[in-house]
Amino acid sequence: MAGVTLSRIVKAYGSLEVVHGIDLDVKEREFVVLVGPSGCGKSTTLRMIAGLEEITGGELSIDGRYVNRVAPKDRDVAMVFQNYALYPHLNVAENMAFGLRIRRTPKAEIKKAIAETAEILGLTEYLHRRPADLSGGQRQRVAMGRAIVRHPKVFLFDEPLSNLDAKLRTQMRAEIKRLHNRLNATSIYVTHDQVEAMTLADRIVVMNDGIIEQIGAPMELFNNPANTFVAGFLGSPPMNQMKGQLTENGAKIGGAEIKVDGMVGNHIGRDVIVGVRPEHAVLKAGKDTSVLPIDLDLVEPLGSEALLHAHHGEDNMVFKAETKGDIGHLSGVSEVHVPASLVKIFDAESGRALDLGA
Amino acid sequence: MPKTMAKELSSEQVIEKPSEAIKNDALTRTIDHFKREWQIYLMLLPTIIWFVVFLYKPMYGLQIAFKDYSIFKGVANSPWVGFEHFETLFTNDQFLRAVQNTIEISALNLLFGFPAPIILALMFNEILHASYKRTAQTIVYLPHFISSVIIAGIVITAFSPSAGIVNTVMGWLGLDPIYFLTQPEWFRPIFVGTGIWQEAGFGSIVFLAAIAGVNPSLYESAVVDGANRWQMMWRITIPSIMPTILIMLIIRIGNIMEVSFELVILLYQPSTYSTADVVNTWVYRQGLQSGQYDLAAAAGLFNAVVAFVLVIVANTLSRRLSRTSLW
Repeated sequence: MAGVTLSRIVKAYGSLEVVHGIDLDVKEREFVVLVGPSGCGKSTTLRMIAGLEEITGGELSIDGRYVNRVAPKDRDVAMVFQNYALYPHLNVAENMAFGLRIRRTPKAEIKKAIAETAEILGLTEYLHRRPADLSGGQRQRVAMGRAIVRHPKVFLFDEPLSNLDAKLRTQMRAEIKRLHNRLNATSIYVTHDQVEAMTLADRIVVMNDGIIEQIGAPMELFNNPANTFVAGFLGSPPMNQMKGQLTENGAKIGGAEIKVDGMVGNHIGRDVIVGVRPEHAVLKAGKDTSVLPIDLDLVEPLGSEALLHAHHGEDNMVFKAETKGDIGHLSGVSEVHVPASLVKIFDAESGRALDLGA
Repeated sequence: MPKTMAKELSSEQVIEKPSEAIKNDALTRTIDHFKREWQIYLMLLPTIIWFVVFLYKPMYGLQIAFKDYSIFKGVANSPWVGFEHFETLFTNDQFLRAVQNTIEISALNLLFGFPAPIILALMFNEILHASYKRTAQTIVYLPHFISSVIIAGIVITAFSPSAGIVNTVMGWLGLDPIYFLTQPEWFRPIFVGTGIWQEAGFGSIVFLAAIAGVNPSLYESAVVDGANRWQMMWRITIPSIMPTILIMLIIRIGNIMEVSFELVILLYQPSTYSTADVVNTWVYRQGLQSGQYDLAAAAGLFNAVVAFVLVIVANTLSRRLSRTSLW
């Protein structure tokens, strides 16, 4: 196992630069998830690590070795592709053996490795089937099996679950997590799904427009987003962001004023974005909460909870509320209560989180 | 509306829908379909007309294979003679030789001519330089668009003993000139080679299209796994286009009896009949030049039946062995 280090990595296609000098240090045995919207450069970054894309600038090292110009096969990485990339003319066992046979691994060893891997992935009874005769989840497992049998230094996953339906995705997500705990291999995983990122990652790397917005443990990013982009990307639904102004007592949003933890002091009068997570606002006043009047537009029941779509002035927002089996009592909601300790303040201009020393 | 009423209504409807109504439904649907898609059927029409006029209507004349045909009596009024013409055919040395030549030339064509476009396509696929690739492709496609008469003219000139480039080069090497096109042993190599030159490039388009359809991530995955280009060609490209190869092979086997008739006519001469005369050229000489229409029709029918059986056999084999088939 080995770590992966990216320093000032740049990727440009002609004059179009798509990755703008990113730095990332993936530690040995770590599960790092690159997450971001389409076109943010996450897949390109992964493909540069795999060696499928040339690196325009910067340095890439795997296990301490500079590998910018090393061929993919000599980087000792294995990649799981979004569309599985299974060879349709080979059966499951042959698909998994492909990489080993290319490397002229002795037959007995290949057989043993496949049997072991198939056992781990529950594919033993499908070894003689062709990919066309497998379900989506089974194909995904074969794709992972093909990576696992090689015992690579680093596993690379390129949106491996995005072709599966929602239920299967949840199931496979858990399986990948279990697999990682078992194999303890360095893994870099690309997804646009923040739930996958939150559940799988030791550390999440949020990317946007070819730069890294923030790196950190899932809960750290969730609790302390570095900027409005991260705040709006992680969490479902994402954090509500309202235009406001800092005052002596907290933050003024339209006609309302809500309390904020920390020293507003020298920031008074500053234009800010006030962030409140949908699940942090409550319907009943509590200790240290302040009132935020809202105009309710729509109640969406999800079962045990409901989403309240509302607006305050020009800002649209979504809050989560418990249904307790009925949504009748939610239709009359006209205000929510926001605990001061959970309010986030971002600079309106730069979008960066303001450190109020709370 | 109360539930009971709804129930009554639906049961009434079921009773009131006899088979006639269903038939009318099907008719209406068909009419609607034609109204909606008539442009597509219109585009199909010329092909159907071509098939009827040139392939189905002439089948009426096939009966003369079993008749003592006379142009004065016409197709319908000539007397039946059963299998007499077929008996004549199978005791005719020239016809049997033509059958044997057909099979042998076809076998050579299959052996050398069939793999040629596949190899070309694989080679084109390995060319990375786009404009070089386009130029190379255009050069090999060109002969397809040249009439067989001109192709034959070029071949005859190239192999001519006096001015031909082949004999000129042989002269430089100190070899005696050979009059290739009068030598029976040279006919087949020249014929098969000409066929490859004329059609291999154009034939490669089908395989190039098949190669273009291979999922690119298969190659990326193989690259990460450590495969080199040679291994990718053998282990990914060729297996991936195998269904196309098999379909083309079935079609080719179906055409085994149809050795390129024009090119044989243009390149052979009496001195090379022993290796060059095929069923179609024999039919042409007997039927059109000697006026034995009934015998020629019998030979043509024999040819067609053999081809028909071959297509069915090849298709069945392919379906059994590789799950790929024409129908």
